[in-house]
Amino acid sequence: MEAGQYLDPNAKLPYCRGCGHAAVVRQLSRALERLQLSARSVALTTDIGCVGLADSLFPYLHTVHTTHGRSTAFATGLALAEVLFEHSGLKPVVMIGDGGAMIGLLHLVHAAQLNVDVTVLVHNNFLFGMTGGQHSALTPLEFVTATTPEGNYTPPLDLLALLRAAHAGFLARQYATDSDLDAVIAEAIAFPGFALVEILELCTAYGTRWNELTGSTLKEMTHLQGYAIGKLETNLDRATFRDVFRHEQHDSHPPQAGKAESAQRVEGAALAKELRLVVAGSAGERVQSSAALLTQAALACGLYVTQKNDNPVTQGSGFSLAEVCLSPRPIEYTGMEQPDVIIIASAEGLKELQANGTLGRCRAETLVILDAELEAPTLPGRVIRLPLRKNATPARAAMAGIAAWLALSPVIPAAAWEIVLAGAPEARRAESKAALEVGKELAAAWVP
Amino acid sequence: MVAEGALAAGCRFFAGYPITPASEIYEVMMRELPGRGGLALSAPDEISSLCYCVGASLRGLKAMTATSGPGWALMIETLQYALMTETPVVIALVQRLGPSTGGATQGAQGDIWLTEFATSGGYTIPVFSPTTATECHDLTLQAFNWAERLRTPVVLLSDKEVAMTTEVVESLAAPGIVERSKFSGPEVFRSYDFARPEEAPAFAAVGDAVKVTVTGSAHDKQGRLKKNAPEVIEVLRHLEQKVAAHAEEMEIVREDLDPGAHCLLVSYGITARAARQALATLRREGVRVSLFQPQTLFPVPRRGLARALAQVETVFVAEENLSGQYRAVLAPHLEGRRVVGINKLGAMISPSEIARAVRAAEA
Repeated sequence: MEAGQYLDPNAKLPYCRGCGHAAVVRQLSRALERLQLSARSVALTTDIGCVGLADSLFPYLHTVHTTHGRSTAFATGLALAEVLFEHSGLKPVVMIGDGGAMIGLLHLVHAAQLNVDVTVLVHNNFLFGMTGGQHSALTPLEFVTATTPEGNYTPPLDLLALLRAAHAGFLARQYATDSDLDAVIAEAIAFPGFALVEILELCTAYGTRWNELTGSTLKEMTHLQGYAIGKLETNLDRATFRDVFRHEQHDSHPPQAGKAESAQRVEGAALAKELRLVVAGSAGERVQSSAALLTQAALACGLYVTQKNDNPVTQGSGFSLAEVCLSPRPIEYTGMEQPDVIIIASAEGLKELQANGTLGRCRAETLVILDAELEAPTLPGRVIRLPLRKNATPARAAMAGIAAWLALSPVIPAAAWEIVLAGAPEARRAESKAALEVGKELAAAWVP
Repeated sequence: MVAEGALAAGCRFFAGYPITPASEIYEVMMRELPGRGGLALSAPDEISSLCYCVGASLRGLKAMTATSGPGWALMIETLQYALMTETPVVIALVQRLGPSTGGATQGAQGDIWLTEFATSGGYTIPVFSPTTATECHDLTLQAFNWAERLRTPVVLLSDKEVAMTTEVVESLAAPGIVERSKFSGPEVFRSYDFARPEEAPAFAAVGDAVKVTVTGSAHDKQGRLKKNAPEVIEVLRHLEQKVAAHAEEMEIVREDLDPGAHCLLVSYGITARAARQALATLRREGVRVSLFQPQTLFPVPRRGLARALAQVETVFVAEENLSGQYRAVLAPHLEGRRVVGINKLGAMISPSEIARAVRAAEA
């Protein structure tokens, strides 16, 4: 690639006289010349603002003109996808202003954390230039802008200090007028992970109009803000996103085609019509996972089944509920208009079924299996009180309740349970077997 | 099953952020995608999730994210960018009870308007609505196919009850997989140069050998920012024309029509399951009623609807939201027929509630 193949030599730069953006655009072009990158291996990703006009000046590069503050996130998407391509090497370069850097701060932080191969050039002229010179999060103290006519009183964000905390691998702060800016930009682009160069500039439309600001007072001002200038961080030791991805890919085992085993099936389901069952208990007492075993057992004997769970917003406290429909035919509605069987394993479960109206919908045919420690509500149907918690332990009470019901109404054959338990993890298998036994014994011992 | 559908469609990039009731899709993609030649990533928020997907799609990968109402609200900016830049992407939106944080573990069908009417300028976002686990798979595949073919964002709109219910899946559709049409020279590539306004322009990825220009600003066919040039207006019209021109082809509906029925029950998503059950009950009682279940919500399946409306005097629209969002969408197409809304907030509409409403109106 010859010189001039990056920045269009005939382009009329659309910036105000003396604006720092013009210098950066030229220095970026020189940086690309230094690196001798092919034009098609650069994705210039521009933000909103005067800085966003730059894409039209580079007619040979890929250009992605984005939304305000999001340029870094789109560039990160490009760079993430890039790791799936073996022989490529696309380099996204982001051009963003101080306003965009703040609205898209999260994207900068995450790109730095990921250490993706994205280079960000922050054009910091301390204000929003395109919209009339309003102050930004990077405006220095005392600085006069359209929205801080008495001088800015909000201390500016030190972007580099923040990104250092996010483990950015390459960080530099330069003036747009620095003669070595092209070398620093080239180094940032060549850096294999996340790199950011904050470039301090004059906005000659507003910054210099309202403030005693020239090239030399700019340096005084940044000195007063306590800003470090120059290359601040170069850490090649941190793994890049590509390194991490390659490593993980090496470790992951692709699924083998055709290896999916067809699920085992047994005959013997004894169910002529749809049956709706609710299991209610307390969070952490295996209510939903016990119901899931029932669901799998129903599936193993060829029934149609649906299971939907409910719990408070928190996962580990309060009630826990599972609603299961079993049917010899496909199931449409998955709710509990009229439950056939209700298993209540704890006080919290009972309370929730009263609150959500399930108990109110019981009919004379509804069977309720209730832990013996609970006070039996007055219901139209049959209520069986069994010492589920006492005999089976609280964590096995739901499973024992399910087993007791199945002992009384043998809908699912034992062979189906064997299939399900054989597929369960060792610890779970032993525990479920024990709970099933307790349930069976309780049902056998129950005298109406 | 949404995740399975995405994998079957050739999805190679997923970025997500946890949110009930869409987290399961996110977890499955994180687990399954790496082993299938793709990349799945945790984003720091929903805005980043969709931006990453759009970036990956610009690089040439099929991409998807999954979220719920609060996350969708954050994605609307980038949805519009995908639309304007003609970038294919699929968003699996699992509805929960709103507004705002609403009820994280409660289902709802309240995001119809928020999904469809989310763009400045009022563009049609294709929306597919599954009612079962099987349909989640099949319609996700369709969502990818249309996103790729039309180069536009597509939403797979389910809800908590559809997405978080375990159920039997018997057989899955395997329609052909559509890839976006790739630019193949030899002329100079122009990023938004469509041959006909009804078709998407040929695609070249950022990083390909031809120069690609992408922009969310109003642009000409070359992607140059222009103010009010006739070609810019032509491009803006094309963004809608390409979807509208394929509306009939995008129609997927389920129907159970009784040619002698004067009343039609319309429902979609989770409520359509209760409607199907209510239909059976009503017919057993001798009530003559038809059922129309749009799986393509947008573009409105007008051809199927017209077919279902023949002879019909009363239309019942059952949906789990406050004011009948899809009923309002259908209203202009119902031409003076009596329209009855069956609505409920905070819980599924039951078959008996639907049957009762139909009986009451027909009595």
